[in-house]
Amino acid sequence: MTRRAVRSLAPWLRIVAVLTLAAVALALLVAWLGVINVAASAGHPAWLESFLELTMTRSVHAHSRDLTLPDDLHSMDRIRVGAAHFAGGCAECHGAPGEARNPVYDHLLPVPPDLALQAPHWDSRELFFIVRNGLQFTGMPQWSGGARPDEVWSVVAFLEALPTLSADRYRALAAGNLMPPAPHSAASLRDEGIAELARAACDRCHDTAQAAPPSKLVPRIAGQSARYLARSLHEYRRGERRSGFMQPVAAVLSERQIEELALHYSRLPFVPTSSDAPAADAEAAAIARGTHPELRLPACLSCHGADARADYPVLAGQPAPYLAQQLRLWQSGGRRTSAWGDVMATIAGRLDAAQIDMLARWFSQQPREFAE
Amino acid sequence: MNAVTRFIALASAAPLLAGCAGAQSMFSPMAAEADRVVLLFRVMLIGSCVIGALVAYCLWLACRGAEDRRRMFGKESVVFRLGLLLPVMVLTLLLLWSLRLLGRAGQDTEPDLVVRLQGEQWWWRVTYVRADGSEVESANELRLPVDADVLLELSSADVLHSFWIPAWAGKVDMVPGHTNHLRLRLAEPGIVRGQCAEYCGGAHALMRLYGVAMDPNEFTQWLARESGPAVATTQTQGREIFVASGCGGCHRVRGEVAPGRVGPDLTHLGSRLSVGAGLLPGGVAALETWLARHPVLKPENHMPAFAFLTDTERRALALYLASLQ
Repeated sequence: MTRRAVRSLAPWLRIVAVLTLAAVALALLVAWLGVINVAASAGHPAWLESFLELTMTRSVHAHSRDLTLPDDLHSMDRIRVGAAHFAGGCAECHGAPGEARNPVYDHLLPVPPDLALQAPHWDSRELFFIVRNGLQFTGMPQWSGGARPDEVWSVVAFLEALPTLSADRYRALAAGNLMPPAPHSAASLRDEGIAELARAACDRCHDTAQAAPPSKLVPRIAGQSARYLARSLHEYRRGERRSGFMQPVAAVLSERQIEELALHYSRLPFVPTSSDAPAADAEAAAIARGTHPELRLPACLSCHGADARADYPVLAGQPAPYLAQQLRLWQSGGRRTSAWGDVMATIAGRLDAAQIDMLARWFSQQPREFAE
Repeated sequence: MNAVTRFIALASAAPLLAGCAGAQSMFSPMAAEADRVVLLFRVMLIGSCVIGALVAYCLWLACRGAEDRRRMFGKESVVFRLGLLLPVMVLTLLLLWSLRLLGRAGQDTEPDLVVRLQGEQWWWRVTYVRADGSEVESANELRLPVDADVLLELSSADVLHSFWIPAWAGKVDMVPGHTNHLRLRLAEPGIVRGQCAEYCGGAHALMRLYGVAMDPNEFTQWLARESGPAVATTQTQGREIFVASGCGGCHRVRGEVAPGRVGPDLTHLGSRLSVGAGLLPGGVAALETWLARHPVLKPENHMPAFAFLTDTERRALALYLASLQ
């Protein structure tokens, strides 16, 4: 700006310009002098604390306003799978009913809030926004599974149930199919440390020799082919298949552990669940068998039937909510990222909402043997 | 054996013809229908040149001619005669003649052969209807006997397409939910190329097909072979991969475990002139290229990429598909 341009400004504007420049210079000077104490131990002055809180609550509210809630937000399937993830992913910092929190996390700034107390202050949309996107300067990460709103809503469902949970009830939900650990001996404490609730244990969510998964949003992996299971774990580990539930678990598995797990689950007996659904749907069966060429849909069973490759999954007996939710994920492009997922993306794009529900139900009712 | 030799000769000549101007040109007519299009084009071209020259001459006279000429062109009666009566007469005559010319095909007689052609994004479903009413499905190649009255029933499965083999006939639109008819009588044998002539989405320019005009006896033999199931193949490895990978969900190989009707029928893929609807020449190498790179070679085509297949698996698949003679 030339001197002449400055002179041409109105006098009051000149004053504003000078004051602004002075304020910026002062801020830089204060930062440079190092008089601000950034130590977590120093805490925030009360006025700053209030300002930050105002910024956060208003921002979260404004950004989450337009979200649409899923119809089944408060289903037990969501709460169960959300609880298992909470125990594995969130409780470490936030603590959980009946569990002592590692005092290290009491010394963070800000201190991760006890969600049994804090969650009721937010509505479902706001909780979704925070879990999905994280919060700047607080240590709260964004959802590690990328665009998996279905998973985030399950965590929200759990958070909304959390304030009403007793310690025992929480423990039961979070442990899923996990057997209660044997009491600790001095020797086991000495050698293995404390493993009160194994945070990454597969049994929390998945099949065991005695039981089906606790949530119908979780796939049946017992008796699935080892090649498919290994492929899925590899895809999670490489980040090609996105999931905030599975990626953190798969990321730390070694090649050998993946092979062993795949083999273990492929040999695990499939525990049938009682099917309360009505008799099989003739139209779904026709789509699955490809006898409706005018729909331009390939027969589901050409890839998910008896003659299919071992790296294609068996769908018979999978819970309907899991299948429907995965098909919807495909429709939104969420599973295009792997070479295998890409095949299904084209096909899922041709299904409408009613066909998705109908096919998911049909496959869930098929006996496991039909595809073996 | 003779037919097979001739067929191989035809097949190997296809790539050469593709590069030749005549294969996809309306100026090398090989059917009465195309002859009429060329005649109409020539008459229109010459006629418009003559009329254009006349208009220019009159314009020159009206602007630069002698005084009395200019006065003449200013008269209302002259403007009426030259500017209104003459064009109305010329256009009426042309319309009547072209209607008679293009509508001449024997619409009332029974055709010797009916072929249904359905445009799909971005390939051609070809169904031959035999005299006994039975149907033979093929794809991306239209084989017809010469000296026979053929009725093509043209429609579309999705969006507007247009069937155009320039050496055989003019364009005819393929409209979803409606059947257009085209009568053809091919005059001489030969391989020509066609192209979808109505923009139909992403891979429109790569929606091509071959037209093969054959000697009637040869055609009968060919159709008999085409109507049969896939020949027994020795390529069991590729066959296994084909079935297990779910290719049969969309593609049909008659006589095999492959009931799909979504994509092109592959029963006799190995005997076709091209792969990917006129995109690549036939043969194992082209099939392998197609399987490995089709999302790049024909962007947006609806076949999933199957990028997880290994090179060995793709090779085996290509060998199997090429063996479907």
